[in-house]
Amino acid sequence: MSDPGRPAVGAADPIDAHVADLAAALHGPARAKSRMVTELREGLVDAARDLASGPDPDHDAARLAVREFGSVAEIAPSFQRELTIAQARHTARTVMLIAPLLLVCWYLVRTWDGATGRQLPDTVELLVAHLGGVAAVAALLAAAALAATGALARRLPTPHRLPLAVAWTGTVAATALAVSALTLTLASLLAANWPLSVAAGVVIITCHAKVAASARACRECARLPVVTP
Amino acid sequence: MKASAVRGHLDGLLLSVLESGPLHGYAVITAVQERSNGVLELRKGTIYPALNKLERLGLLRSVWEADGERRRRCYELTDAGRRSLAEERSVWREFTAAIGSVLEPAPGPGHAT
Repeated sequence: MSDPGRPAVGAADPIDAHVADLAAALHGPARAKSRMVTELREGLVDAARDLASGPDPDHDAARLAVREFGSVAEIAPSFQRELTIAQARHTARTVMLIAPLLLVCWYLVRTWDGATGRQLPDTVELLVAHLGGVAAVAALLAAAALAATGALARRLPTPHRLPLAVAWTGTVAATALAVSALTLTLASLLAANWPLSVAAGVVIITCHAKVAASARACRECARLPVVTP
Repeated sequence: MKASAVRGHLDGLLLSVLESGPLHGYAVITAVQERSNGVLELRKGTIYPALNKLERLGLLRSVWEADGERRRRCYELTDAGRRSLAEERSVWREFTAAIGSVLEPAPGPGHAT
């Protein structure tokens, strides 16, 4: 975490070591984590300057600042709580934006095939209806989670298990997307405009990868210890 | 006063010191300690996630500001933050008045000797 642009407080800098340990203990969206850790580092440098006997912070002042700010074990749960919520919001946002895309892709494929007088088999139509329903419910749950962790949290406490619920919502949405991509690939064999079906399948499998990765990260964050508010 | 005693009131304390204008994280910490004459003990490192939470709730907004070669995240109250602070103050006054009237009851006529 050393930055040549910042004032040095010693060769084996306790602040850099502390910040590196904290960063290693935390999991969550990279940007949010970097921002919080950078802020903490700036605060530690300010504190070391205040505590130093001379104009420049020394090793002892840096060590004292680290002690005053709290050990990694003491402060990491507070940081992790915010990062877990940030990851849950990221996953919820991804599900909310991507799940409706599934409906759009199916609509395009069906409309095109309907216009050419060909129809997908009933089994495929039924599966599509169910997958569409799953995607719609997942998007609604994701929107509710975003509200519950945003302005609504001023009035209502955020449920402790909400990030885990968001993680599983994302996992279900990712599964629906994967099944949809597979169905579209198979349906392309019967479709009048198979390039359109294949293109829709590629779009959906890309979306699946995005949602699945975010949901996996959310599940990992939800398992970590956090401080209760 | 131990950090655990402050915990339930931390949001109100942070909003209060930001009422007069934008501050960065460490300035918020020193402002709380100065205004309490050093009585309130804070686990300083936990202030940063607390500020992050208040921003997520829409009570604060923040921007990175350059300070020489360093960059600091400066926080300021939003309109919702000002309203929330006013509510916190109102609740706190009611609470302290109620507790005070129990702990230090005013001498009534029946108690006169």
